[in-house]
Amino acid sequence: MIGLVDGNNFYVSCERVFDPKLEGKPVAVLSNNDGCVISRSYEFKALKIPMGEPYFKLKPLADAGHVFFRSSNYELYGDLSRRVIQTLHEFTPDVEQYSIDEAFIHLSSASNDDWQALGRRVRETVLKWVGIPCGVGFAPTKTLAKIANHIGKKLPTGVFVMPKDPKGLLADLPVDEVWGVGRRLAMKLRTWGVRSAGALATADEKWLRQKGNITLVKTARELRGIPQFAHEDPDERSQSISCSRSYGKAVTAFDDISESICFFISRAAEKLRKEGHRAAGVNVYLQFYPEYQPQFSEGGYTATTISFSQPLAYVGDMMKEIRPHLPSLFLEGRRYKKAGVIFFGLEAEQGRQLTLFADVEREKKTDRISAVLDQLNQKFGRGTVFSLGEGIERGWAMKRDFLSPHYTTKWDELPRAH
Amino acid sequence: MTDAESKRSPLMASLAVCGFPSPAEQYVESPLDLNELLVTKPAATFFVRAAGDSMVGVGIREDDILVVDRSVDPCDGMVVIACVDGEFTVKTLRQQEGQVWLEPANSAYRPIRFAAGQELNVFGVVTACIHRFRVH
Repeated sequence: MIGLVDGNNFYVSCERVFDPKLEGKPVAVLSNNDGCVISRSYEFKALKIPMGEPYFKLKPLADAGHVFFRSSNYELYGDLSRRVIQTLHEFTPDVEQYSIDEAFIHLSSASNDDWQALGRRVRETVLKWVGIPCGVGFAPTKTLAKIANHIGKKLPTGVFVMPKDPKGLLADLPVDEVWGVGRRLAMKLRTWGVRSAGALATADEKWLRQKGNITLVKTARELRGIPQFAHEDPDERSQSISCSRSYGKAVTAFDDISESICFFISRAAEKLRKEGHRAAGVNVYLQFYPEYQPQFSEGGYTATTISFSQPLAYVGDMMKEIRPHLPSLFLEGRRYKKAGVIFFGLEAEQGRQLTLFADVEREKKTDRISAVLDQLNQKFGRGTVFSLGEGIERGWAMKRDFLSPHYTTKWDELPRAH
Repeated sequence: MTDAESKRSPLMASLAVCGFPSPAEQYVESPLDLNELLVTKPAATFFVRAAGDSMVGVGIREDDILVVDRSVDPCDGMVVIACVDGEFTVKTLRQQEGQVWLEPANSAYRPIRFAAGQELNVFGVVTACIHRFRVH
């Protein structure tokens, strides 16, 4: 049986652990640079303010004291996430973390076959030990467990076990609520008459293979109760790795842009290496503000796609191939608000093809350098070691006006008790 | 904060360099680890800074670091971190004859009692207090 455990309104819940005054109140956590809403408490959701709403529109609410905002405190969220995963290990060694607030737990049996009771115990333990309320869903496949979890969250117990015959349930579930079916795919499926999860589950496989791809076929099988997505199958789900940030203040100098892109490449490459991947190329993009003086000109984007000479994971090599393209992205006189990089064409370390021009020895050496860099960054904190291109003084660091203390990761920011 | 995942286990240590059999050669234990001593359940253990002097009587002083374990069930006589009116307080939990209250360890402070229907909200149980002395 597979259980999906995920934190309710995770970032807000994290903020509430050490600030009990936020309980029962409308609270929202803002994205990088205090840009927009990325997590909402139930009370905030009741105000009908959507996810992604920009903060500047909500400032009057904050000023009036009706609603509480917090900046993203990733250090805190990461630490509490780690604790939730650790707590789940009390129930099974087979815990598969999927995102910062979600994990699949694999169990072969529950005492008295009472999965509902087990789900309740899991929920109670995580709430007690870490202070994070969770929803728990049990089902024979990951895709069904995700659905069970969604249903469970709406129940007072927070737990739902998928019935042995879920056909009725799936017939009532819109197809776009199925894990792995995005909005675009859902639109296409609907035009072809597949409107519910039930319809997807029973659709002809050959037709699905033709209309979609193998992942869609596997999703349909999972809906029928046949496990398809094995452990840690990142290649099935993540086709790209990216890093993007909004700048704290508008950036105009080319050197600053260049430096920040190098920093993002570093960050994303860290993730890439951690997953044991190399990238075939990268998309780099910049977003600039509209101008109003001396006359109006629209805001917009510049972007470029760079295919590497061979699959890369080492920042030094990547920057060598990326740098020549950067001047073409830069428009003199524009003020830049955001930049991002997206790696594409990921391939796993093992079993990758050697190209005719691959320099195997050099790759081995740069792999070792990358491994050492990662270790140093991990031990002494991110950003300890960075390529020279990244610079030391980051004038463009992001704004976090509503940041709560690093309660669990800094000795001088511990919560206090009188 | 690190996980107390290190377990003390005997290490085989062969002191071949010395050229003579050492009585300690049987096994060598790993060094004493404060995490192992003070943190039983890393996932549920948090550190809280003590403020004020309401608990000097049990040896908790201003700025001491309290080791707080949320996995322990609070009961009568334990020192706990509780949440009262949205603030954290450190007090001894008292539970007797159906009554629940929070007791300070300083005569200058009054116990915190709970009105009917008011719920006691315990953050965690204090299992240790770390006091650091000034060193020049």
